[in-house]
Amino acid sequence: MIHTILIVDDSTISRKIVKKCLPKDREFELFEAGDGLAGLEKFKEVKPDLVFLDLTMPVMDGVQALQEILKVDQDAVVVVQTADVQKKTISNVMDSGAFTLLRKPLSPEAVAEVLRLVEGTGQKKG
Amino acid sequence: MSIAAEQALSRDEQDILQELMNIAFGRASADLAEVIDTYVVLNVPEVRTLKVVDLPEFISTEISDHDIISIVEQSYLGRFKGVALLIFPSGAGRELLNLFGDNVEDYGEDVSMAALEKESILEVSNILIGACVGKVVELLDDEVSFSPPRIIIEDHPRNAIPCEIFEPNSLATVMRTVFQFSDRNISGYLFLINSSESFQWLKKALNLFMEQYE
Repeated sequence: MIHTILIVDDSTISRKIVKKCLPKDREFELFEAGDGLAGLEKFKEVKPDLVFLDLTMPVMDGVQALQEILKVDQDAVVVVQTADVQKKTISNVMDSGAFTLLRKPLSPEAVAEVLRLVEGTGQKKG
Repeated sequence: MSIAAEQALSRDEQDILQELMNIAFGRASADLAEVIDTYVVLNVPEVRTLKVVDLPEFISTEISDHDIISIVEQSYLGRFKGVALLIFPSGAGRELLNLFGDNVEDYGEDVSMAALEKESILEVSNILIGACVGKVVELLDDEVSFSPPRIIIEDHPRNAIPCEIFEPNSLATVMRTVFQFSDRNISGYLFLINSSESFQWLKKALNLFMEQYE
């Protein structure tokens, strides 16, 4: 089961949308970071069950953050949420080890489906 | 404080608009990548409110690395109302023409290289401006129409940047994004400049957008 979620996005609005799209009937411990490097540091600190990761961010972009997170924990479950929906971006993200990619803006339905898939695969320990 | 200043977007509203611009330009880039074989490197967009009288200096500063530019200016009309400026540095027309895979020889002697380069810039602007503005407005549950584009090729920024877009004493919201084509030496700048006439509707529409997540 997913208990802890880290949301990494430079947009406070986008982080708010992610939080609002999480199922209302469940409780999660939420952590946030405003760029890829801060997200990586927060990941090391809290080892979340799931990461929502934006791509276009200052300091460290999402693809680099994804790769660094997977170096820390190769079983990390990282869902990329991005406005950049070019085919090359999608293939690059998936080749880098993302669990899946969601188009912005997120919807509650898309987030619920991702949680179901993550918990269904049992990819994350715990 | 003027009426326009009182109606200017709040910090939260600017953040929402910045995220919508991010989403919209991402879609526009994907549309462009479908047409030409390129990959568009995106950057974090920026939204700010400025006095109209300060716009030319702001834009000049943003593109200060370039002495010669080409610029496409296109108005969008509706409740979301303003002017889009797509700016490329010198030489971009030729690079874009190559991306389209076109050669001047393919068009015969009657068509000049300059005309083809101009067409390439117009085609790219048609996709990027149309898709980006269209997506922002779609997310805000509205529609816009576009005026015909005006293009200035290879000129000094002081000549090319329009000075009288709106009433000089009013405010404007500027959405700006910078992008690069990864495999070509081309960068570009897209500015969407909304007049204060659309502030009141825009504030409502931005708050309605967020309400769907409340």
